Amino acid sequence: MEVAEEDQVDAHADASATGPLLRLRGITKIYQMGEQELLALDCVDLDIESGEFVAVTGASGSGKSTLMNIVGCLDVPDAGSYQLDGVEVATLDEYELAAIRNRKIGFVFQGFNLLARTTALENVEVPLIYGRRSNRTELAQQALQRVGLGDRLEHRPSELSGGQQQRVAIARAIVTEPSIILADEPTGNLASLQSEEIMQIFQQLNDDGATILMVTHEQDIARHCKRQVAMRDGRIIEDQPITERLRASEMIARMREPLPGSAGRR
Amino acid sequence: MNFVSDLRLALRALSINKARTFLTMLGIVIGVAVVILVVAIGLGASKSVADQINSLGTNLLTVRQGPRRIRLTAVGRAGSGSQAANRLTVQDARVIGQLFPETISAVAPQVRGNVQVRLAGVDTSSSVVGTTPEYVSVNNAPVSLGRFFNSFENEGSVRVCVLGQALCEKLTGSRLTDLTGRTILVNRNSFLVIGILAPKGAASFGPDPDDVVVVPLTVAMERVLGTSRLDQIGVSCVTPEVMPLAQQQINALLRIRHHLRPPFPESDDFQVMSQTDLLTRSQSVAQTMTMMLTAVAVISLVVGGIGIMNIMLVSVTERTREIGIRKAVGATPRDILLQFLIEASIIAMIGGLVGVVLGVGSSALLAKIAGWETVISPIALVLALVVSAGVGLFFGIYPASKASRLNPIQALRYE
Repeated sequence: MEVAEEDQVDAHADASATGPLLRLRGITKIYQMGEQELLALDCVDLDIESGEFVAVTGASGSGKSTLMNIVGCLDVPDAGSYQLDGVEVATLDEYELAAIRNRKIGFVFQGFNLLARTTALENVEVPLIYGRRSNRTELAQQALQRVGLGDRLEHRPSELSGGQQQRVAIARAIVTEPSIILADEPTGNLASLQSEEIMQIFQQLNDDGATILMVTHEQDIARHCKRQVAMRDGRIIEDQPITERLRASEMIARMREPLPGSAGRR
Repeated sequence: MNFVSDLRLALRALSINKARTFLTMLGIVIGVAVVILVVAIGLGASKSVADQINSLGTNLLTVRQGPRRIRLTAVGRAGSGSQAANRLTVQDARVIGQLFPETISAVAPQVRGNVQVRLAGVDTSSSVVGTTPEYVSVNNAPVSLGRFFNSFENEGSVRVCVLGQALCEKLTGSRLTDLTGRTILVNRNSFLVIGILAPKGAASFGPDPDDVVVVPLTVAMERVLGTSRLDQIGVSCVTPEVMPLAQQQINALLRIRHHLRPPFPESDDFQVMSQTDLLTRSQSVAQTMTMMLTAVAVISLVVGGIGIMNIMLVSVTERTREIGIRKAVGATPRDILLQFLIEASIIAMIGGLVGVVLGVGSSALLAKIAGWETVISPIALVLALVVSAGVGLFFGIYPASKASRLNPIQALRYE
């Protein structure tokens, strides 16, 4: 039964792999708050091509988190159509959604969300376990090496800094080689240098071909991406490419310059 | 997710809070241990009763005075429950023995009583059986030393006796002392010891069958106990198959001899019981006790199961965020359900195993220290394990399904 489901999903993917990676049409989500209805998403249309690096910005309550949850298949829209890799996701059941989350989506959260009392390596292995994958240790090691934690495999979250924890989370997100990486305020809990280090990893992943959708309310962070989608009141109010893109590697180099005088010169 | 990693995951989760896991387990441990102990004691009791009764012989029917009756007095208040008048006579026994040779091979009329026995200054109380030489075959009581008295000694009222080994021990301090040829006093009548009975083995219930002095019937009735009525008649049947027929024959005969009127068996002043009757009667008592105690033990097992459910619910709440993370990276509801179900089952099964070890150990200890016979039945062991695993599954399913149904978004936001 399970195998049949998987085959079905794959068949869909192969049939229509030509369109955009992500295709949202008229996505609407309404929350029931007691008597009141809250329109969290109001007919949102959005296309994301493979290889893009998109920042979703907006004030809290603008609907960007709800959008993220729906794109991440944690939540289903009340109306509209959402195709991921050509598969209509809005109508899938809980088990099919879990399979999509496992294979096509990698999550990075603001609060890291690692399993406590579990080593970095084991944390990264978790998605592989649920995906019933073989050679898990090898894949997890490779993912940790890509985020620069090849020497921290056996450390537990409590033994790692915030930036390192977030890098473990990124390794966990990329270990299944998902179609898209979803990052929800990935730098929200980090100091600026660590934030830049995380952004550097994301930019590197994007350069290597990964598609990334990131929610942030910091304009400085958003400017590391290639495209910015601004939201307000459940609608997209602005969608444009980023012109003066920041490179995290340069930012890090600048931050590490010791002399305050030299910083003022730029 | 394969089974080994499932197990490792569950064991790690349980090891995080060792004290809590241990205390939760304790409920199951105690439940299972008590079930096994109680069943072991119950089976042991039934077995020793069966052994004891079987040692009397399988072809044996026992004729006794009638069952206890409650008679209402004229005032209407219940009189003291009195025995029906004892009207079994030596003549009854003789007629039974002569009339039905095709079904009955031998009869052994018996009188019984408590007596003082004395040997060389040692005084002790014991029980006396007055009977005929047929007692040896009818009641399966061979002598291990010397000889039983013969019919001449019986009819001639010769004062000879045969002793049980427990009585030898009480008189001399050793079971193996050869008392043949010595003279003992039974209620101040002197008897020559001519034989020692083979031991029947100590009984768990009732008097020790080896603490006895057997004397000729005539002497017992006239000199020792001073009675003209028999307490019971042992009847040995030809084969076990003819026992129901023999029982009917004895019933019919004694009803005529005692001039009884219907309705039967209500007006009978005697009763004929087979070993099977005795066995079922004593065993039903033992079984009722065992059932009641087992019920109590099972209840404690259920209480242990509720403890597991309680802890698993707490655990699900504590680990809401973990569940959210797992769901976000692709765990299906079934994966989560299984994770928590395995944890609950592990608690129950390890608890069950420890309980089995503890139960078997304490039964052995009880047998050794208190001398109770205990029988460990393999079925009880398997059943206890299966039941404890079942308890884990049953009480684990609600918390586990609660965990599996958690909404991942809310679970991730849970602080």
